Amino acid sequence: MLSIHQNNTTQVAALDARAEALGLKRGMGLAEARAMHPSIAVAEADRQGERRLLEGLADWCDRYTPLVALDGEDGLFLDVTGCTSLFGGEKAMLNGMLARFFEQGFEVRAGLASTAGAAWAAARFFGRLVAAPGQEREVLAPLPPQALRLESPLCTGLDSVGLRSVADIMTAPRAPLARRFGRTLLMRLDQALGRIDEAVSPRLPVASLSVERQLAEPVVLTEDVERLAQMLAEALRRDLERRGEGARRLGLSLFRVDGAVSRIAVSTSLPLRDPGKIHNLFREKLAAIADDFDAGYGFDLVRLAAFATAPFDMRQTDLAGEASTAQDDLALFADRVRARLGAGAMMRPVPVESHLPERAVALRPFTGEARPPASGRGRPLVPAARVVPSHMPARPIRLFGQPEPVEVPATEMPEGPPLRFRWRRAVHKVVRAEGPERIASEWWHGAADTPTRDYYRVEDSEGRRYWLFRQGLHEAGQPSPHWFLHGLFA
Amino acid sequence: MASRAVAREAVFALRREIARIEGTLPQRLEGQAGEAEAAQQGARLRLGIDGFDALLGGGLMRAALTEIHGCETRDAGAVAGFTLALVARLLREVPEPGLVLWAGTVEVFREAGLPHAAGQHALFGLAPERLVLAQVPRLADALWVAEEAIPLQRLAAVVVEARGNPEKLDLTATRRLHRRAQAAGRPVLLLRQAAQPEATAAPVRLVVAPAASGQRSTLAGPLDGSIGRPAFTVSVDKCPAALPGLFTLEWNSDECLFTERAKSQNRAADPVAVVSLSGCRAGPAPAAGQVVAFRRQGAPAAGAEHTPEQHDAGRGPRRAG
Repeated sequence: MLSIHQNNTTQVAALDARAEALGLKRGMGLAEARAMHPSIAVAEADRQGERRLLEGLADWCDRYTPLVALDGEDGLFLDVTGCTSLFGGEKAMLNGMLARFFEQGFEVRAGLASTAGAAWAAARFFGRLVAAPGQEREVLAPLPPQALRLESPLCTGLDSVGLRSVADIMTAPRAPLARRFGRTLLMRLDQALGRIDEAVSPRLPVASLSVERQLAEPVVLTEDVERLAQMLAEALRRDLERRGEGARRLGLSLFRVDGAVSRIAVSTSLPLRDPGKIHNLFREKLAAIADDFDAGYGFDLVRLAAFATAPFDMRQTDLAGEASTAQDDLALFADRVRARLGAGAMMRPVPVESHLPERAVALRPFTGEARPPASGRGRPLVPAARVVPSHMPARPIRLFGQPEPVEVPATEMPEGPPLRFRWRRAVHKVVRAEGPERIASEWWHGAADTPTRDYYRVEDSEGRRYWLFRQGLHEAGQPSPHWFLHGLFA
Repeated sequence: MASRAVAREAVFALRREIARIEGTLPQRLEGQAGEAEAAQQGARLRLGIDGFDALLGGGLMRAALTEIHGCETRDAGAVAGFTLALVARLLREVPEPGLVLWAGTVEVFREAGLPHAAGQHALFGLAPERLVLAQVPRLADALWVAEEAIPLQRLAAVVVEARGNPEKLDLTATRRLHRRAQAAGRPVLLLRQAAQPEATAAPVRLVVAPAASGQRSTLAGPLDGSIGRPAFTVSVDKCPAALPGLFTLEWNSDECLFTERAKSQNRAADPVAVVSLSGCRAGPAPAAGQVVAFRRQGAPAAGAEHTPEQHDAGRGPRRAG
């Protein structure tokens, strides 16, 4: 028996069959229950754990339909429209599903109907029922108003006016009902009877295309999974070709025998439909997660889904049969690196309009080479010896992510570059220096009130060139400034 | 076709024989600059310094792995600068320049700084859109990225950066890089910060150290105390001709070429007398042992051989034996 603290009282949240036999009920106070039967075993309910379990079950139910939604704290909605024939009809599907749940140790009630409301009522009040289309009225009629998914205050209100079953509500005139109990009641009734549509919002995004393979014998080896991915990709290619599209985002769902589901997602820079390339991407991804990849007792269902697709521009192959160009190769290479090492592994620098050195160049994920701009506005791609005007202050060729603090003896003169400084525990003697270049904080970017920096290019006695800055100024009442090393020059 | 190959083989065998008689290496023979050289003209990247290029047998091999060492991590600026200068010359020579992939571990980029596109554009003409940075957690990943990237046609050069002497970067790993570079005909530059030279498959190893920069030239002549063109001290540590060489190169970013600085132009880093000239008296009697560096003026000649200040960055007294 599980207890939960709710509304300032500790109530019974769930109980097993034996406790039910003792006459205990859900929602009764724990003190009352203990008074009746002092020997009951009570444990605190773990709402988050239950939620995780429910989501795990929802994952498992993905094998029946991609449209799985959570329903409250203890239910799942499965939209099996069009899926039942794959499992031998509605009745067989429901029985099979319940049997598999039972094997896993769950006691599950299920109902199948044409509307979500009727299925909900069938599951909660009958346990195992398949309602034929048009039968909703007969199924619902004898049930209490709770079967319409109504709040308990509303049910109490209905009870107080003598509407004790759904049949009573169905026969009552609609206008007074709406006036007295609000629109929710009639909306729920109409939804259950199929008069208005109800959308079940799926928990996970639904793939536009997916192919799957049920396996009689579970696979364990990573190589087998890779091979399956290629076989599925070949099946997916036919669908993609029919639609004239290529996949941009692909997901491989691996359903383990014991119910756990692993999902592996890869994204591509260019629309893709070649099974070999898809296979390569998943191979990198599987190699990257090799340590976390737990096949357990094996996978018995593998599904490959294309979550995002884009038009695929067909290109004529040349006589050697080579259609891919150098740019495609580069994009594919970037995809593979990203699949294996994460999205931050391949970056390209992009100049940003900012005079703060750490913001002047932003790193963006590299997704293949940008096509040269068609208009003449773009920067010429042929490198000139010097494109940046020479009057611009020099910038280092290596920049530290975080400026590194350096020690400058306090006896130095307050203005100008230091004569010597200590960086990484080594003393560097400054021989020549240029500067300062004063860079103030970007006050238009909100409240970031960093002190002014004075940058100096200095060269030490061994010829190394550094970029130092002093943060803050020597002013009365201000903290004394600190020195930092921000970059290295060639 | 086959007969030509046989003839070439005969010429090479004869050349090896002559080299053996002369007691030198075939690569050093004068005749090397003959037809074999002409065939390889496109395969070499000339630095524009005659002595340097001659030492390397006509320039740096394009389709090869080249090691560029820096003795300390703080030399990373010079090492990266020299590498970028090579890349800039490379991009100038090819008709349709491609991208440059720079792969390194997170650790290297944290210790030596991330390549900064703004500075590289200004000094080496490497536009930001030409640079692709691969920042990966482990060296094995960086090597994998490099190996996979080498065959890509759109890349002009692949730069791999590592720090120290990790076990992963052994003869096998470098040979893999070298073979792929040869097969793809693309230069692979292996930057090694704070590394000791060790046996690798790279045919050429250059050790780069910073050198005092030139002065800014103004209309009134060189400006005193200014920091002008960057300079590097490049020593050829390993090359097929097996001849050592030490060059001080200045990078001219306007012309995109190296200029060699004459030995006499090399300014002393610290132009003060190391030892003050003795007066009219004769110097004190020399102490026993070989003097490696002169002791600071005024210090007693004998005694205090192994004082703690001996470790003060080579500035203190040091004595061997």
